[in-house]
Amino acid sequence: MTGENHALRILIADDSDSDRLILKTLMKRLGHQVRAAANGSEAVAIFADYQADIVLLDVLMPIMDGITAARKIKDMAGEEWVPVIFLTSLTDSSALARCLDAGGDDFLTKPYNKVIIQAKLGAFNRMRQMHQTLSQQRDLISERNRQLLEEQQLAKRVFDNIAHTGCLDADNIRSHVSPLSIFNGDILFACPRPAGGMHVLIGDFTGHGLPAAIGALPIAEIFYGMTSMGFSGSDVLREINDKSGRILPTGMFCCAAMIQADFQLNQLRIWNGGLPDGVLFRKGGGRDLVISRHLPLGVLNASRFDAAMDVFHTSAGDTLLMMTDGVLEAENEEAERFGEDRLKHALDVAPDAEAPIDTLLGAIRSFTGEQSGQDDLTLVSLEMVVASQFHEAAERLPQSALKGPAQWYCVYEVRDDTLAQFSPLPLLLHICMEVPGLRRKSADIYTLLSELYTNALEHGVLDLSSDLKTSPDGFSYYYSERERRLENVTGHFIRFALTHSTTLNGGQLTITCEDSGRGFDHGRQFAPESPVDSDSSEAKYSGRGLLLMQKLGHSLCYSEYGSRAEIVYDWALATKQPGVGHE
Amino acid sequence: MNDKPHLDEEALTELQDVMEDEFDVLIETYLKDSSDRIRHLRSAIDTSDADAFAKAAHSFKGSSVNIGAPRLGALCLKAEEAGKGNRLNEAVEVVDAIESEFQCVEQTLKRFIA
Amino acid sequence: MPIQTHRSDDRHTLTIRIEGRFDFSTHQAFRNAYEQKDPEVKEFIVDLSRTTYLDSSALGMLLLLRDYAGGDGARIELRNCNNDVRRILTISNFEQLFSIQ
Repeated sequence: MTGENHALRILIADDSDSDRLILKTLMKRLGHQVRAAANGSEAVAIFADYQADIVLLDVLMPIMDGITAARKIKDMAGEEWVPVIFLTSLTDSSALARCLDAGGDDFLTKPYNKVIIQAKLGAFNRMRQMHQTLSQQRDLISERNRQLLEEQQLAKRVFDNIAHTGCLDADNIRSHVSPLSIFNGDILFACPRPAGGMHVLIGDFTGHGLPAAIGALPIAEIFYGMTSMGFSGSDVLREINDKSGRILPTGMFCCAAMIQADFQLNQLRIWNGGLPDGVLFRKGGGRDLVISRHLPLGVLNASRFDAAMDVFHTSAGDTLLMMTDGVLEAENEEAERFGEDRLKHALDVAPDAEAPIDTLLGAIRSFTGEQSGQDDLTLVSLEMVVASQFHEAAERLPQSALKGPAQWYCVYEVRDDTLAQFSPLPLLLHICMEVPGLRRKSADIYTLLSELYTNALEHGVLDLSSDLKTSPDGFSYYYSERERRLENVTGHFIRFALTHSTTLNGGQLTITCEDSGRGFDHGRQFAPESPVDSDSSEAKYSGRGLLLMQKLGHSLCYSEYGSRAEIVYDWALATKQPGVGHE
Repeated sequence: MNDKPHLDEEALTELQDVMEDEFDVLIETYLKDSSDRIRHLRSAIDTSDADAFAKAAHSFKGSSVNIGAPRLGALCLKAEEAGKGNRLNEAVEVVDAIESEFQCVEQTLKRFIA
Repeated sequence: MPIQTHRSDDRHTLTIRIEGRFDFSTHQAFRNAYEQKDPEVKEFIVDLSRTTYLDSSALGMLLLLRDYAGGDGARIELRNCNNDVRRILTISNFEQLFSIQ
């Protein structure tokens, strides 16, 4: 073995001249380098300069004995391991054991045996080398670890820029996000909606650390992207569930709650999938629980996922509190968990004027005895406010560098049996949504397009008369005829033309819809202003569409014997003044 | 004790082998040291220092054992035990035996290096 | 299921819940839901919490329901409307005909 043949640097100390001479010569014969001392004090002095690989010390020496010298030498070696072997002619085992207790690694008895000495030197050299390797590896690991932590710090900053933007700093929102681990798998997003109100998403990925944080990034993009385009909470949930299911490995999912707050309607719509029950505090006292009714995100596939949200009617001043399960799992020194009972109790005894989030944080901190900085909690509270208090969304939405098309014109025509198979409305709506100023109005635009298309298709192409819809049975007949005629449609078309231009303070969209039908007497189809006109038996269950269009847009006019309709829709840039409601 | 030889021939031969041309130096060192040690033993008795006596005996035991003089080593052990037991009255007799044994060893060793 | 119905414990109230889009395709199912011919039913609730969209044909269907339920004397509540649905109902002045929540 190479260990034994390697030339070592050896330090020996023995007060007997002859013994010292024997040992020194023996070591040299074995091929090693030797320095010799006559007592412990000399040995320590030599060790200060001489990088000995192994030290052999006589136990009983004048001035400083072997045991004291051994301690000093071990101290001086510090992190490095220097084997110390005691030389002794002691024979009783308890005395020998005491040598080892005192810090020695082994002993050699006199008379010196060349074979034994060689074997022990070899063994101790191997051990010394192994110790060195371990130290180096530990240093490497330590350095790698430091690098990893540094990388994680940087990644966290990127993550925060993506995941913690939006309107978490709005006046009516308060939140607490755990500072404990660099990524702890909790997410908290808030984004205003174009038409008013906001979405909040609070969640908790299984696992923690980098994998959980990475899973959160595409979800953040979906949440902010779709919310700022005006999609509903349910739509956003479906998309997030789908994405999570596809990108997360099986067994990894996200317990979450989606909150859609509508300040104008005074409504909260909430979806809770796997988080602890939320609490809705009513201003006058009283609490409702927001129960988890759904499976977490990323578990069910699209066809089985239920995005239905529970509706709560609220008043200004009502406050919703949602939390991840770090709250219930917070432990005190006796490893008891905070739990649902303590939560309920803390809320029961809270003083009236205290904000629920403060009550809960205070209660948890007294329970765990921990100061902030060590907890693993994520909480958010949202207060329902009067709509005008919540600033116009346009100011706060993340703006794209592109401003969107200002002046444009497009024509889209659907013909023959495509009329039965394909609705052009989603595409046309999408084109209009490229204009940022129209995104808040997606519902209005869709209604206009839809009513125009329905009229063109049913009255124009299919030649169905609204007169049919004057009775319940007539209604049924109308729609079954619609289906029948649609299956056989040939030689027809519907053509949309959209024109958009910007104006001084916003823009104008003109929609025309032309069909290949023989036209209709549109004069007769105008519905009266009041929905019930007892004099007219016609246009009773129909005609609502025209009324809607007139109210949403303006300058509705017909040409080409009624087979061409045109309507104009104006939109205005959001003003800084809060309280601008519907146009 | 009496069954131990004055000199362990095998051990000495091995020492010769290890020490090579320094064997003579070793023997001379040992013989000089040993005379000193015997003097220390005697003075320790004179000053009734049992601890010093035991330590000197221990040291002498070690070097004797290493040089291959087992009977001398055994006598030194006896002296060491007397010192540890604070029985210096027994010590005188043992030291006499040690000195006489040493003289025997010394003569044999000198023949080795002649 | 796009249409779900639920009777109250005292059998007097029929709740009809419409999921997704409320347009002409819902027509038959909606009609089947309320045409119970059951004299015990005195009140109707149309639950729109999961209704994403309402077009003019749906307005017509609501009017049909109102007629069926007694016209001016009908007790019908439209509940849990989202913003878009609410807007269409308001524009059409349906608050004059229905209790809307």
